[in-house]
Amino acid sequence: MGRATIKKKIHDTFLRRALKNFAAAYPVARAKAFEGIDFEGLRGRISDTKKAGLKELPELVSRFKSRAEQAGATVHVCATPEDANRTILGIIREKGADFLIKSKAMTSEEIELNPYLEKKGIRCLETDLGEWIIQLAGERPSHMVMPAIHKNKEEVAELFSRATGHECPPDIPSLVWTAREALRSGFLTGQVGLSGANAAMADTGTLAIITNEGNGRLVTTLPRTHIALVGVEKIVPSLTEALDVISVLPKNATGQKITSYVSFIKGPTGEGRELHIVLLDNGRLKLAADPDFSEALKCVKCGACANVCPIYEIVGGHVFGHIYVGGIGLVLTPFFHGFDKAEDILKLCIGCKKCNEVCAAKIDIEGLIVDLRDRIRKPVGQKFLFGTMMKNRRLFHATLRTLYLAQKPFQSAGGRIRHLPLILDSETKFRTLPPIAEKPFRDIVAERPGTGDQGPGTRKSNSKLKTQNSKLEKVLFYTGCLADFVYPDMCRDAKESLEKLGYEVIFPQEQTCCGIPARYSGEMAVAKDMARINTDVLLAEEANYVATICPTCTMSLKHDFQKLLEGDEAFREKARKLADKVFNFSELAARKIGNEGQWPEIGSMAVRDVVTYHDACHLKRGCGVHEEPRKVLRELAGVEIREMADCDKCCGFGGSYSIKYPEISQEVLKNKLENIKASGAQTVAVDCPGCKLQTEGGLEAAGSSVKVEHSATLVARRLRQTK
Amino acid sequence: MIDAFQRSAEAVGATIKRFISVTEGVSYIRDLAAGAPISASFLPQEIREAFTETSFAHPDDAADARLCVSFAKAGIAATGSLLLELADPRERGATALPLLHAVFVKGSTIVADLYALHEIIACELNSPKSAYLSLTTGPSRTADIERVLTIGVHGPKELHVLVLEGV
Ligand code: SF4
Ligand code: SF4
Repeated sequence: MGRATIKKKIHDTFLRRALKNFAAAYPVARAKAFEGIDFEGLRGRISDTKKAGLKELPELVSRFKSRAEQAGATVHVCATPEDANRTILGIIREKGADFLIKSKAMTSEEIELNPYLEKKGIRCLETDLGEWIIQLAGERPSHMVMPAIHKNKEEVAELFSRATGHECPPDIPSLVWTAREALRSGFLTGQVGLSGANAAMADTGTLAIITNEGNGRLVTTLPRTHIALVGVEKIVPSLTEALDVISVLPKNATGQKITSYVSFIKGPTGEGRELHIVLLDNGRLKLAADPDFSEALKCVKCGACANVCPIYEIVGGHVFGHIYVGGIGLVLTPFFHGFDKAEDILKLCIGCKKCNEVCAAKIDIEGLIVDLRDRIRKPVGQKFLFGTMMKNRRLFHATLRTLYLAQKPFQSAGGRIRHLPLILDSETKFRTLPPIAEKPFRDIVAERPGTGDQGPGTRKSNSKLKTQNSKLEKVLFYTGCLADFVYPDMCRDAKESLEKLGYEVIFPQEQTCCGIPARYSGEMAVAKDMARINTDVLLAEEANYVATICPTCTMSLKHDFQKLLEGDEAFREKARKLADKVFNFSELAARKIGNEGQWPEIGSMAVRDVVTYHDACHLKRGCGVHEEPRKVLRELAGVEIREMADCDKCCGFGGSYSIKYPEISQEVLKNKLENIKASGAQTVAVDCPGCKLQTEGGLEAAGSSVKVEHSATLVARRLRQTK
Repeated sequence: MIDAFQRSAEAVGATIKRFISVTEGVSYIRDLAAGAPISASFLPQEIREAFTETSFAHPDDAADARLCVSFAKAGIAATGSLLLELADPRERGATALPLLHAVFVKGSTIVADLYALHEIIACELNSPKSAYLSLTTGPSRTADIERVLTIGVHGPKELHVLVLEGV
């Protein structure tokens, strides 16, 4: 994606305001629409039936075709966009028509039908208000459900003035009325109407179409020929499954309980009328059979994945997507439009998993995006970084140590890095950076035998401690690189807290990077190697738990390793065994609440510090952990929590993302900082070293005195105070 | 059930009137039309007959009517929706083109939610005939310009639901 385009969108004030307002309004409306409805149950059903349908998609297609034809429709199965375009042109020509009226169909955008037909002398008129606006503007939709969300009323007024030949004031109700009047003659004179469909039922050959404006009903009613252009993945077995789609779609799309109109159309209705159903394949049948990516076709095109995406909120759909936008747009683009179109946009996802949480079809959108990166071209230099360096722990750690010296010239008083040299600087000054520590945690542990174990091989020197601790639950401490090399104090705090809570804590020296940076960069083979190394290291010693203080590592060890090593006979079982032991710091700490006698009564504390809590994406959505951290803060750290708005929204870090796309990262961060400020708390508690790095850097650069602390630090601090 | 239906339908901008007799509904509609042409889609005998002094516009002139009268096979309480059977394209046009749409629905045919309509919809779709069913909820609407909700785009700007109680 061109840097210039990204910057242009970031600086488009109307777009930014529109998307920000929508991002704020959407969750409220959505929650209201789903009141009293079991969303998880509903989307679970949709996911299951869609998944089953994809397995037998060719059969579903032929069943639908024969039933629809029995009902009097003509069904055309088109393999490619060219095929579909040609077929539609043929139908229009056969009717002797030269004018097509259209209601909304993303499939029509997909095959670029309008430009094709216009070239052949067929006039096309979009009648959905949003589609008409962008047709007049010569653009493409920036949202699947609200195509013209990027246009303001002034722009619309200008477009309408030009189209109608008379001055249209930028007043929304009057603009809508203008559209009604201007398009009315189109409806009455259109010879052929084209629509999409939201579901197609194989048992009866029926189409279901969901609309709000009423144009869909006119397009399928007034012209004597109706063409429906439908992706084959829209076929469901029967009405039962279609009702689930109809139920979920408007609620998830815009927070409407149901749209104004839901039409069920079976066969041509009325004398001399024709219904042509153009079933579009365009890679779908192949994708349906793909063992890794078929899941993407479960999508019902509700657009919710864009609605909640923090990156979409900053750059909009013209950047975050191709023709299909939002998270699923990133996934579908390579299959529908080619990898060349997808290469750049696939990198734009920050990996926050917010989309997964709301997806109407329960698709692991983020996981598919990450997996697809494995198939795209890699930048030069990446091969050495991941291929050689990451796999060699000693080299990797030695390099990190060297960086400690290299950064010295850039450190200012207080040790933080405020300016980076040359080009990097202007893009990165939105936050200051913590330096790499003089001594990583691993060295501190190694130098102080007796205060903590050094892991396998050094255990003999600790035999006394061992007998003492034999009754304690044993925890292997996996710090993650960022905490180890940048925040050794955070590691120490976590270790001390866990020990104080009654665990025996051991730091295995052989542990190395969890492999996430490699995986996010599409280096799947390297990520697998890292998974194998760490699995062996962490299983080498019998222990009850593996504790992490970085949610990305937790997620990686607990979930990703299993996925990565699924196909590896020798490691499959081991990865599963490891996964069962891995827990985030707060989970292990929370287990001991109320179990230990030496903690002072919280009730006895006169004044509690007020903190606000930021949920790390990978802890909340990656591991499903969000209650334990709050419990730990309240009951062990003894603080009061004052929740901020959007506490679980991404901070914009995303590891190397913030270096690759600093302009986007800082905008996401800005939103977070606003919410922190509005909470009034003087401390932000986090459970992630990455979130700490990003938010404290941003706060410091903005001159704020608000501090960011890992929960482990807040717990340890209280522990020291009360000792 | 009718109360819940009324709440849901009003929440999406429909006007709900509850009547004991068809004639009350008919005079309400006449007042609404205020002398302008009225069109109609399918109406059961007893309702059509109650329009004693009204001659409905010819189906081909539906675009000129100010108001269309319809009859719904069923209603949905959870969403305030109405199920219309509109296989005849001229009747469909009649419901879609005018500014006002008035729909009779029997109170006893109002069901709890979309799923409760499964049987009645399936029955229509399983018959050998062509079918066009339209689930209508409130007046037509858009939020395509700056996400500002605007009522009345290509379809009716007002939806009046005449609930016949006791039947
Ligand atoms: S993971 Fe986050 S950034 Fe990526 S597509 Fe989903 S919502 Fe957007
Ligand atoms: S991927 Fe999921 S959330 Fe996104 S449009 Fe498809 S169904 Fe909706």
